[in-house]
Amino acid sequence: MRKQMNFVRKLKQTKMLYLMILPSLLYFSIFIYFSIVNGTIISFQNFRFVGKSEFVGLKNYLEVFSTPGFWRVFKNTVILSSGNIILTALVPMALALFINEISFSLWKRFLQTVVYLPYLFSWVVVGGIWIFLLSPDVGFINVFRTLLGMNPIYFLAKEAYARSILIGVNLWKQAGFVCILYLASIAGINPELYEAAMIDGAGGFKKTLYITIPQLLDTLKIVLLLNVMGAFKLFDQVYVMRNEVIAQKVDVLMYYVYIKGLEEFKMGYAAAISVVIFISTLILTLIIKRVIKYSV
Amino acid sequence: MVSITTGGKIYIIITNIFLFLVALIMILPLINVAAVSFTTDIESYENVIKLFPREPSIVGYKVLFERIAFFIPLTNNAIVAVVGTFFHVLFCCMAGYVLLSEKLPGKTLLFVLVLIPMMIPFQFIMIPFYVTMKKLGLIDTLSSLIITDIVTTFSILLIRNYFQQVPRSLAEAARMDGASDFTIFFRVYLPLAVPGLVTITIFEFVLRWNQFLPAVLFINSPEKYTLQIALRSLIVSQELTGTAQSNVANNTRMAGIIVSIIPLIIIYLLFQKYFKKGIVLGAVKE
Repeated sequence: MRKQMNFVRKLKQTKMLYLMILPSLLYFSIFIYFSIVNGTIISFQNFRFVGKSEFVGLKNYLEVFSTPGFWRVFKNTVILSSGNIILTALVPMALALFINEISFSLWKRFLQTVVYLPYLFSWVVVGGIWIFLLSPDVGFINVFRTLLGMNPIYFLAKEAYARSILIGVNLWKQAGFVCILYLASIAGINPELYEAAMIDGAGGFKKTLYITIPQLLDTLKIVLLLNVMGAFKLFDQVYVMRNEVIAQKVDVLMYYVYIKGLEEFKMGYAAAISVVIFISTLILTLIIKRVIKYSV
Repeated sequence: MVSITTGGKIYIIITNIFLFLVALIMILPLINVAAVSFTTDIESYENVIKLFPREPSIVGYKVLFERIAFFIPLTNNAIVAVVGTFFHVLFCCMAGYVLLSEKLPGKTLLFVLVLIPMMIPFQFIMIPFYVTMKKLGLIDTLSSLIITDIVTTFSILLIRNYFQQVPRSLAEAARMDGASDFTIFFRVYLPLAVPGLVTITIFEFVLRWNQFLPAVLFINSPEKYTLQIALRSLIVSQELTGTAQSNVANNTRMAGIIVSIIPLIIIYLLFQKYFKKGIVLGAVKE
């Protein structure tokens, strides 16, 4: 009898727990899992919203690999992402090391705050700020150039500068976020290591070189991994900062998917690209994990 | 304690100069934008480095709210951000609690089902996601934006992490008293994980306030515009793209930027330590 009551209670308990996780499962099934399946199906179809979509086999995939447009945005994505991955891993590390040297705490707090601020802003805001700052007539940077006797340059209408500008602005936005990660792991370093170094007569610079930096390698690995996983996601910044003049240099994969799928309504083609990118990211992540021997 | 050598002194001076330059690079753009937002139309086109308006004026803000009706996207954005964040936090907390219980049948499967979506960025599934939204008749509704990312693996795991620090004995005691899981969740876990709640709430609010791609995909009519797409059509250089309202002066554009970042700055200054904690926890999770 008692056992039975326990069982009933247990069943009720289980039911309630399932009920509590139901919203999450519903969202994941309808929007994520179904999207994965449906996206794969669409990639093999000549997709139509009205009427029947017929299957076309590998046609979309063959088209992806044979269009120059795809390879152009692929190249742009790889170049922009490589710049982003390397710079946003290393520059914030240097920044964190310098900030860590500051002993005046108000100045330190101020620095952390201002470096982090742009990370909070959307790409529309950050892109908007830099489009303004880089503009030929009123932009800060060109005013400065004029003061120095140089001619103003329309930076965002020059193919030669386009990628560097995008990578630089990305660094401006993301540096604070990564910097906080490094500062947190610096704070976690065992102080005894420094004491031992001091007894051995190591100065500030030597301590940084031989103790702090090696201790930051694990964080560097995490940052690299996060950056690589995000490499192909690039969209917002390009959508905001691109223009027709520099399009050939900065249009990236996800922007291309968006244009093909939702402006030209070549859904099957766009879905095929997404599948290719998804698989590439998976492989890339696995390789990187293996290379840096990062185990979760 | 230890005397600083000359070399050490130079090192400290160089460090400070470098950091001072960094601070300038970070903050001058913001001061410039703020200054221009408070200029008159003509002054906003002046060819000088402006760190303070010569004749302070709020004409930019007036145009922004009166002629461009910026309060419409602002209101839409607030609705999406507040409602979306509320349900996001509620659903993710419930899921995080469920994934904590040890004896739940099928728990491993649930865990896998919750974990996999973390590997799939929204960008990669935007086409089928759009198709689903369209089939559900949700295109061009604010609901589509609220539903997008209504739960994320990231938040579920983050809050679960905080729940794990709640002493198990408390939950057991409540269960002895006949409390259901729902009660235990609301009465024991939520009150004891307030820092975690604050962390995911502010993170999610900021994300939703800045939400861009879903709005680009799902929203068509101007009266449904959210902040980011309205702001984009306001500020993106018109001569090259031909999309921005071309008769808008720089002061109005910069006013648009200031209005959209002020809530974020306030939240950040109020909850700074939660941001730091959340970032570190989040990175380790992934």
